Amino acid sequence: MLEFPPIPTWDALHPLIIHFPIALLLTVPVFIAVGAAMSPEKGRSYLIAAMVLLLAGTAATLVAVETGEAAGRLAERAPGMEQVLEHHESLAERTRIVFSVLSVIFVALVGTPWLAKRADTRLTTTILPLAFLVLYSVGILLLVNTAHHGGRLVHEFGVRAMVAPTPVDANASLPAEKERDRD
Amino acid sequence: MKKVAAGVIVVVLALAALTSVANAAQTSLENLQAAFNGESNAHARYLAFAEKADTEGYGEVASLFRAAAKAEEVHAANHAVVIKKLGGTPEAKMEPAVVGSTKDNLEAAIKGESYERDTMYPEFLKQARAEGNRDAVQTFNYAKTAEAEHAKLYSEALNNLAQSQGSKAKDYYVCSICGYTTARIDFSKCPSCFNDKEKYQKVS
Repeated sequence: MLEFPPIPTWDALHPLIIHFPIALLLTVPVFIAVGAAMSPEKGRSYLIAAMVLLLAGTAATLVAVETGEAAGRLAERAPGMEQVLEHHESLAERTRIVFSVLSVIFVALVGTPWLAKRADTRLTTTILPLAFLVLYSVGILLLVNTAHHGGRLVHEFGVRAMVAPTPVDANASLPAEKERDRD
Repeated sequence: MKKVAAGVIVVVLALAALTSVANAAQTSLENLQAAFNGESNAHARYLAFAEKADTEGYGEVASLFRAAAKAEEVHAANHAVVIKKLGGTPEAKMEPAVVGSTKDNLEAAIKGESYERDTMYPEFLKQARAEGNRDAVQTFNYAKTAEAEHAKLYSEALNNLAQSQGSKAKDYYVCSICGYTTARIDFSKCPSCFNDKEKYQKVS
């Protein structure tokens, strides 16, 4: 019978949440490009959609970094893996900062004409959004590199989040017993 | 009759489940107690080794022993918190430290740290994961990561022992949260516990 899986703990949330920033933030440029290609009147709705995706993706990035650190505290270090983990963590930090800044810029870009009650022009719906895409490429570069190193941790080094108890060999003697035997 | 039989089965199953949970907690507790005992003794032993290194004129090595002693103290404290959470009382059977020459002490320290890194903590971690005990996994993981670093630092010290004769005290940095030990802080967050580098304490 189908039933709901247990609610994940904060550290176990990382493998679930990381796909959100990747998917959301990689979709944003598509909406910006489509909006920029359209007339100012029609393009605006695509830019608003891009803004919503960007804000949701950035929020997911914040959660991904926090849950990642919690998961990292439980990840057993192995030779070679440590450098990748450090790199992944530092890239994730930078990704978080860059997308937070990009979000502020884009909200200002989309929101200013509306606040100033000015009609949209080619400048506000095409030229500035395209210029923004150039800046955005920096964020994309950081995002995909962070994801790549996260993927290496899982698929190359076998790092796993603690989603459920991992069974051990029932016949093996207990570590504490071995410790006592050693003494 | 069927109802009675069903009731008996339910009670037996419930008892079996309770016993298995109790055994799991016991195992975690035993491993934590063993680790607490080991870390407490290592703390005292390294302080004795540091004194010996000072008297033999190995200032840098003495600093390293003091830094490692501080780290072991952090690990013991972390283990103690989890032991108390599981309803136990942290207890250490303190044994007198066997102090040899600084060279012997470094070799003994490398052996001890390597054992903890390669055998003891990996097995404790496996067991804690099997029980799904996050607190135990975290404290064992912090200790294992730091012990690996200690083994590396001790090996370097042993290789450079001749050159460090007559050296003065050297600064080492120990994370007050996880006990990670390093000779230089070239990061903004601790590589082991991801806490801010301000959590590091200088030990000389």
